[in-house]
Amino acid sequence: MEHLNAETIARLVDERPSSEERTHLEACPVCTSELEAYRSQVEALGGLPEILPPQNDWRVLEARMRSDGLIKDPGLFERLGLAHTPSWMKAAAAVLLFLTGTGAGAMMTGESTDRPLADMAMMEQAAMFASSQSVDEAASAVRVAEQNYVAALARYRELLMQDGGPDIGGDPISRMAALQTLVAASQAAVRQAPADPYFNGLLASALGEREATLRMVSTKDNWF
Amino acid sequence: MAQSENELIRRAADGDARAIRSLYDRYAPRVFAVVRRIAGDDDLAQDYAQEAWIRAIRALPSFRGDARFSTWLHRIAVNAALQALRKAETRKKHEGPEPEHVPVAPSRGDALLQKQLERALDRLPEGMRQVLILHDVEGYTHEEIGDTLGVTSGTSKSQLFKARAKMRGMLASLDGAMQEHGAEAWSI
Repeated sequence: MEHLNAETIARLVDERPSSEERTHLEACPVCTSELEAYRSQVEALGGLPEILPPQNDWRVLEARMRSDGLIKDPGLFERLGLAHTPSWMKAAAAVLLFLTGTGAGAMMTGESTDRPLADMAMMEQAAMFASSQSVDEAASAVRVAEQNYVAALARYRELLMQDGGPDIGGDPISRMAALQTLVAASQAAVRQAPADPYFNGLLASALGEREATLRMVSTKDNWF
Repeated sequence: MAQSENELIRRAADGDARAIRSLYDRYAPRVFAVVRRIAGDDDLAQDYAQEAWIRAIRALPSFRGDARFSTWLHRIAVNAALQALRKAETRKKHEGPEPEHVPVAPSRGDALLQKQLERALDRLPEGMRQVLILHDVEGYTHEEIGDTLGVTSGTSKSQLFKARAKMRGMLASLDGAMQEHGAEAWSI
């Protein structure tokens, strides 16, 4: 007995068989079984689940939408007048200063500082987060953190504006060194708060900038 | 109380970041799923899905609500992915010789079945894969597929039946490979 070919059976999932095909199916358990397998395949395909996008997807998309003008409410950096600061510097500001206050700025400028890198304010803030007993308390802690963060960014901006500030964008070696520092600081932040989307996003940005810089270095003609 | 979708859409069209984020949170998995399957590649999928969102948010002011937002967004995602694929033409590698079977580590369950279906989808030639995804996964009619891909509904049917047969061949080989490894065969 000659069996129905594969494409014919695939068609019979959706369409009624001709009289000849019906007669064959009634007499052929092999083709009947194969048709059932095709039906199961189609049913399984229809039940495939949704797929979560990568973790950094929203952050990248949001940045793109802001740059395309699709998001119109001002972001944090725009409110601080840092809209045109390179993204890797924003990430540097966000991670380093959030973690270490003005100590980070000193680290980048080479200035000395008497302040410890992890100062008491940060310790108090960490304790505040840890001891939050309710959503309201946690929200309050977040607001305090945001205020500190904004203040830190303002301090960073002042540092950027100083004469003789860090010239870390003009040559690949010092830029890579700065980015290495930034990546290390970002990783430290993620280790402290592995599930924090903000720190994870900043780490992704830092790694992305480092990759981009490496690519630029490897193609000499494209280096600035 | 959750905001109505219409209100979210209105605010998102005005550039409200939170409204856009809310729409993203609701629909990103669906958008990413269809784009990922059409692209057949994780990295391309992220680029295409982002392009779809950019297009959708840009077009939001013209969204009239004639169709459901999810349907409207879904069409934009499909079109964005298809156009990007045509433009890039980077999928040639997937049109090489069909593997004898999809490699598998024997185990059981729906998760394995879904994984193998996804892998088999990735290995289908591009034209067949697009038709199969749009019809069997996304539920498009042949007329809708014809409009979307710029082919006749007859071509869509023909591609679909070939795609199902190729996929069945890959999955049947896999089934045999699993039995050789002593794992329980699944029902397909």
